[in-house]
Formats: sequence, structure tokens, C-alpha cells
Amino acid sequence: MPIHTHRSEDGQTLTIKIEGRFDFSTHQAFRDAYEHGDEKVTTFIVDLSDTTYLDSSALGMLLLLRDYAGGDNARIRIENCNNDVRRILSISNFEQLFAIR
Amino acid sequence: MTDKPHLDEEALAELQDVMEDEFDVLINTYINDSSDRIAHLRAALEKSDADSFAKSAHSFKGSCINIGAPRLGELCFQAEKAGIDNRLEKAGAMLDAIENEFRQVEGTLRRFLE
Amino acid sequence: MDEPLTDNRPLRILIADDSDSDRLILKTLLRRLGHEVEDAANGMEALDIFRKSAPDIVLLDALMPVMDGMEAARHIKVLAGERLVPLIFLTSLSDADALARCLEAGGDDFLTKPYSRIIIEAKINAFNRMRLMHRTLSHHRDLIRERNRKLLEEQEIAKRVFDNVAHTGCLDAPNIRYHASPMSIFNGDVLFACPRPAGGMQILIGDFTGHGLPAAIGAMPVAEIFYGMTSKGFSGSDVLREINQKLGRILPTGMFCCAAMIQADFHLNQLQIWNGGLPDGVLLRKNGARENIVSHHLPLGVLGTARFDAGMKIFQTEPGDTLLMMTDGVMEAENQQGEMYGEQRLARSLNEAGQGDSPFETVMAGIRAFTGNQPEQDDLTLFSLGMVEEGELAGVSERLPQSALEGPAEWHCVYEVQDRTLGQFSPLPLLLHICMEVPGLRRKSGEIYTLLSELYTNALEHGVLGLCSDWKATPDGFGQYYAERERRLGDVAGHFIRFTLTHTMTDRGGRLAIVCEDSGSGFDYRKESSAAGSECRYSGRGLMLLRKLGHSLNYREHGTRAEIVYDWHFSEVATREGSTIQQPGGWS
Repeated sequence: MPIHTHRSEDGQTLTIKIEGRFDFSTHQAFRDAYEHGDEKVTTFIVDLSDTTYLDSSALGMLLLLRDYAGGDNARIRIENCNNDVRRILSISNFEQLFAIR
Repeated sequence: MTDKPHLDEEALAELQDVMEDEFDVLINTYINDSSDRIAHLRAALEKSDADSFAKSAHSFKGSCINIGAPRLGELCFQAEKAGIDNRLEKAGAMLDAIENEFRQVEGTLRRFLE
Repeated sequence: MDEPLTDNRPLRILIADDSDSDRLILKTLLRRLGHEVEDAANGMEALDIFRKSAPDIVLLDALMPVMDGMEAARHIKVLAGERLVPLIFLTSLSDADALARCLEAGGDDFLTKPYSRIIIEAKINAFNRMRLMHRTLSHHRDLIRERNRKLLEEQEIAKRVFDNVAHTGCLDAPNIRYHASPMSIFNGDVLFACPRPAGGMQILIGDFTGHGLPAAIGAMPVAEIFYGMTSKGFSGSDVLREINQKLGRILPTGMFCCAAMIQADFHLNQLQIWNGGLPDGVLLRKNGARENIVSHHLPLGVLGTARFDAGMKIFQTEPGDTLLMMTDGVMEAENQQGEMYGEQRLARSLNEAGQGDSPFETVMAGIRAFTGNQPEQDDLTLFSLGMVEEGELAGVSERLPQSALEGPAEWHCVYEVQDRTLGQFSPLPLLLHICMEVPGLRRKSGEIYTLLSELYTNALEHGVLGLCSDWKATPDGFGQYYAERERRLGDVAGHFIRFTLTHTMTDRGGRLAIVCEDSGSGFDYRKESSAAGSECRYSGRGLMLLRKLGHSLNYREHGTRAEIVYDWHFSEVATREGSTIQQPGGWS
């Protein structure tokens, strides 16, 4: 599976890790990763350390996650992106919507 | 003076084996050669040339040993030593002994050829 | 060497003995053993025969008239020269002194009277083996000597070829001093300097792992890339990236190139330096202060392109400052006791230098005093670059080498994906691969891929498949959109997506024009692009990315034909990236 999830011990943080290409083909798996109906999760981490490429549909998926997690009140961190991925996120001004590290 | 045999039969047999048809040639060569050497020794003694006497005795010794005439070889060796030590006073007697021994060896060798 | 090395041919044996009967016995014995025999009655005759027929083995009586065996032996050894001709003395000598004299005269052994057939045969065979072994060794030695001569000759030619490639640069500029031993290329050291078209110069100093031919081979493409790209105006980082990629591809694992790239700007009075694996360089300030230029990177040819960091460190300088860089041959220069020169001795040399002494000369003198070597024997490369007023280098940049830019520059290609293949195959890796043959585009692989990918997605989803992004307005719609996409891909008969790529060179770099056409009925690109401004929408960012990354984007033919122009420049990267990233405001 190109997508792995990991819950922190207190159950409040969910880490979603995407391997390889983050594009339309991962959209169902990505949605499944956070739509589990567990109310306890307050913080999402999208770990892109093994993500080689991200396209515009992935940007849409990130926005889907944001709305799911509470829109402007969502607590989502995007972590470990490589230079190319980082550039796409920057061009799209996603820094204003997500905490990108 | 020496208890070595006049002729080493075993050595002669081996030579015969090696030389095959040329054995006769070898024996004749040896006999002629030896006569020359004795003449050389004689001449050296007359001139009291100890060095020449020693060298001739040395060469003569080598061919005697090779042909299988150990007693004659031993006599030559004594003569060589006398020459080297420059003691020619007994050399005349030595040369006589060499010549006698050679006659005996020559006689036996010639019988071999028949 | 006219005889074969392993032969069973009869030996030519010379015997010398004044006793006719002894000679006859020996001659017969040896002939019976299968050898060819010539004989002599004294030393003089033996020498004559030896000169004429060059026998393999000589048997000599010690005492003979006219010339005795000892003297003959001495002459024979001289005549034989390098050939091993075993000399065996025939003797009835019994005293040790006389026997020793025979050996001193050059004899190798004795045969005592009376002769024994068995011993003669054994000795002849033993000495023949020795003779053959000696001949084999001599032959091998001659072969090695000849190969070595050839190798040196080839190296000389290779060096001339290399010099033609490597020394078209500006190592003779008045502000550069360097030492590189004449054959340093075969030690794996490289040193190149090239003026930049916009002024200033670029220098590469490197040290390949290994020695000899493998190291020298690696240097050739490095020289080509360095001079080719620098003279075109590429920055040090670009050149490094290219060299790293090239070496990664051609060098076997475990072989790489420790190197430093120096980009000198005499107008801004600035140095940009990248050090990957070389010993610390030293920047000597005019006021005496010193700064070490530490290696922060892995050597060239180790990391893949994605992980390679070509970032250069900037140093502000003043005229009068001097940069010293060196290969590890400097640190490892050994003295007679086997100690190495090392960093501390280098620092001490520089400490002890007087005001106004040339740092280059100081260090060279320090190394020479330490090793006691002549510089020609050194296996090291050292160079210094003086920072000067721009005007002092007038003329240097006019000698730009005319070397072709690596890689394709002017080309055009059309690639069309048709029918079922549209649903099964992505043409993107192939198209990216074609673009990546252009060095100037290689550093932009991420952007080019995004351009190709977004164009393809739009053409496929909105053009060929006729999907409308309105569906993506809700999370469930998002899912439906892709479910529908999958369904419609099953029926794409008669459809196509066509990419037309054209690359041309411009004054400042190059231009890639991408045209993407599809067989669909068009789509409302105006609506698609304007809608992306609102945050609630989950789609429409593809066009925004195309617009921001490309230098112009045009849709024609009702949206079935998208045209993008992408310009790249020889010497920027950082500036344009910076301005784009920091652009404030919402999505446009």
C-alpha cells in the first residue's frame, strides 16, 4: 500500500504517510486514511518524506482533508516534503492553509 | 707404493658400453696420448722444469683415471705432487715407475682390443 | 629471442680438454645423450668455437696448454653477455683452493674424473633447466620493459590529448598560481579554470579515487562538461550537478571524485565555493586573517541527482585576498621518515610567512623543505586564486573556449498516445526523459514534470473523457469524479493526446515549447481557471500551476490545444525561484 497511517499513543494525532506519487490514483486510499469517524483525532500529520511527486489533484485532496478536519480550525501539518513537492505547495500558497515543515 | 689395481675392469666395461664401436679408437687414442705425455715428462725432467712436469703429470693423471687405470693415475698424482713441491730428485725413479706401469696397462688394453 | 621457450631440442655443448682420450669419452657420452657436441683442445680454440656457434653449455678442463680453463671461462662469460651459459669445469683437481679459483673465474660447477654417465646427465639437465628459467625470466623482463615503454608512450599521447581538452582554459591568468605535476592526470588529479561569459571565472580542482588510466578516463568528461557549460554561462552549481550526474553514471561504485568548485566574481568581489571531499581550503584575507574552506559535501559521483546538493557557499572578499585549494596529495606528502605534511605543518608554513609573501610559494616551499623532493616527483595539486580588481583581468574572458554545449539544444518531437493506450500507459516519464537530455532543463525536472503532468491530466480528464471539475465540489463528488474517470477510460476508441515539444536556444539560455492537443470536444478553460480563486473548491489548481511555472499559457481550439512556453536561463535558478516562492496573496 502506498499509504500508511499511524496513531499516536494518546490517539489524538494521526499520521498519514504517502509513498511514491501523490496523485488521483491515491485519492480513495487517502480518504480512507482519515475518514474513520474517530472523534478523538485532533491533529493530522501528512508525512511526505517518501513522496516523490504531487499533482494538482493531490492539492484538492489536501483541501478535502482540511475541510474534514474542521476547515479554518483544522490542525494539519505537512512534513518532510522534498524540493519539488515543496515548490508545488508554495506556488499554490498552501503555506497559508497548512503548517508546512 | 700403491695397492690400486692396474685396471678397473668395471670402469672399462662401462666405457666399452658407452663407446660401442669407438672403444678401439679410444684405447688407441689413450695409448698414443700417454706415450706423448711420457715423452713430455721426460723432456721436462731433463730441463728440470718442475712446473711443466707437474702439469703434464696432472693431465696424464686425468686421462688414466678416466680410462680405468687407477694405479697409473696414482703414480701420476705422486709425480704431480713432486713437481708442484719442486722435488725432482726422485722424479726420475717415478717416471720409470710410470713408464713400467704404462707398459703393463698398454699390454692389457691391447688384449682387450683383440 | 629466436628459440622457443620450452624446447626439447638437443643442446649445443662445447667441450675443451687437452687430453684426446678424455675428450673422446665425453664427446661420445654427450652425443649418446642426444646433444650436439663441438670440442677444443685448449682455451683459445674453445673461444673461437664459442664465438662461432654460441653453445648452450660449456665444459672446460681447468689446466690446458695455450690458454687454460680459468682464463677461457672469464672470456666466455663476457662473450655470453646477458645469456646464461652454464660453465662446468672438468677436473681431477683435488685441492680446495684450485676448485675455488675455478668458481671465481665464472665456473658454475665441477665434473670430476672419472666421468660418470649418470652424474653428467643429471648435471647437464639441471643446468639446462636453470638456463631455460633464466631465459624465461629474461624474456619476461624484456616483455615488461617493453610494455612499460609502450605504456609511458601511450600515457604521453593520452596526456597530449587530455591537454588539448583540459588546458584551453585560463589557468595562465595573472591571478592564478598552481602546481600540478606533469603526469598528475594519471594520479587522478584535475585542475581546470575557465572565464565566464559575464565576467569572472570558474575553477574546478579535483582528485579521483584510484590512479592511472581509470582515474584519467573520468577526467575527460569532467573537462568537457566543465569547459562546455562554464563557457556558456552556466553557474558553478549547474556544472556540479551535471558532472555529478555524469560521474554517477560512468564511474563504478567506489570510484568518485573529490572536488571543489570555485566561482569567482571580481565585480562583486565575491567567491562562491563548493567543497566536496577535498582537504580544507584556506581563504587568506589581506589583513592576515584566515578562514578555512571546509568540505560540506560528498564527493562528485556518489549521490543520485535527487539528493545531490550543489549549493555553493558565498564569501565576500576584497582585492588582495587569496584562496588556496589543494588535493590530499598536499596533506599526504611524505618525508624520508614516512611522516605526512598534514594540516598543522601547512598552518605553520602560513603562520611563518612574512607580510607580502605569496601564500602559494610559501606552501610549496614548505612542502619541498619537508619532503626533500623535487616538485616533479610530487603527486599533488595546489592552486591559489588572487582576488583582484576586475580591470586587472582584462583580456582573460576573451579567451573563452569554443566548445559545444553538452546535450541536444535544437530539437522537435511529436508523441501521440492513442486509443486504449490512453487508459493504460503514462507517456510522462518518456517525455520527461527526452527533456532531461538538455542540461539546462535537467535542474528543472520537477517543474517540467508538473507541466507535462498537468497538461496531460487536463487533456485526458476534461478533453478526452469530458469530465467536469464541478463534480469535485464536495468530498463525495471527488470520489464520483474518479469513479467516472475510471469508467470512461474504458471507452476511448478513436481518441488521442498529442504532445509536441520544441526546444531552441536563446541568448540567455533555452526555450521549451510544449503543445498538448487532444481529440475531445474542448472544455471551458476560462471557467476552470477563474474558479480556482475560491478556497472552497477542491479543483482547478492544475491551470494555476501551469500558469505560474510556464512563461506563457494559451488555450486554443476551444480548449483542445494548450500551448506553454518555458524559458530557462544559463545562470539564474535562485533568483527566479525566490521571487516565485515569496509571491504573496491568494490564488489567482
